Amino acid sequence: MKTKSTPEVQFDRQKQRLRIEGQSYPENAFKFYEPVFSWLNDYLTDSEEGASLEIHINMPYINTSSSKCVMMILERLEEAHQNGQKIAVRWYYDVENETAKECAEEFKEDLTMPFELLPVEEEK
Amino acid sequence: MEFDLLKLQRILQDYGVLINFAGRFTQEIIEELGDAVKKYLETEAISQNETYNVFSVFIEQTQNIKNYGVLKRGSPHGDRIANSGIITIGKTPDGYFVCAGNIIENNDVSALTAKLDEISRLDKAGLKKLFKEQMKKELPPGSLGAGLGLINMARRATRPLHYSVEKLDDSLLFFTLKVNV
Repeated sequence: MKTKSTPEVQFDRQKQRLRIEGQSYPENAFKFYEPVFSWLNDYLTDSEEGASLEIHINMPYINTSSSKCVMMILERLEEAHQNGQKIAVRWYYDVENETAKECAEEFKEDLTMPFELLPVEEEK
Repeated sequence: MEFDLLKLQRILQDYGVLINFAGRFTQEIIEELGDAVKKYLETEAISQNETYNVFSVFIEQTQNIKNYGVLKRGSPHGDRIANSGIITIGKTPDGYFVCAGNIIENNDVSALTAKLDEISRLDKAGLKKLFKEQMKKELPPGSLGAGLGLINMARRATRPLHYSVEKLDDSLLFFTLKVNV
């Protein structure tokens, strides 16, 4: 469930889709993301080559310790991509939120897996 | 000494302080104040980017102070340190500032100021590079932060980070960090 300082994390096994949505500045980011990471790691480790996973991210604000956690997640996905698994990241950002876009672009710079940056109009 | 609230209010106004909190920082207080900061800035009709930058510096400053308090729980000065946090957000003709302070132990000051001095020597490209390097570093187990907060503040800032250190007694100092956004 989404709270003020933690995003909603949802996994749809049937659709092979992981969704992370919301602001992230928890009291302890490592503690919050640890289960997400270990679940993802188990899923990718158990999946065969050619398995696919789509990741939808929409995070208007990420504090620095959360961004470290997000990077660890992205690096694990990149590794799966290198191993021949079908990974696609879709990162949504508000058109007016340049900093959120920059943040996503910086993550993308060091990765080779499919990584789409998708602008969305702000919901009023 | 009689408590003169009006005098205190005038001082805050003279410095352009909009929001101010002093005391023990908890996650709840950080979240509530953070919301207040964001709502206030939204009514000011500034760009979403500027709001984001002020909010971001506010979060990093308060979480740094809170984490330092947690780290010093076992110290003989633990309580004094945890209660010593103060944060102000203000506005001057040059823009917004987020200024925060807390008590730190003598032994911790040189590592902190060395890091700030290293950061202040870098331009935006250098800060980005340092941020990425630090992001990739293995952290010691039990770390509360990623060691990225100060670099991030410098990246959001419109001017070099400004800090000051004031000696309180033989073992403690008061540390202040001002970030112009």
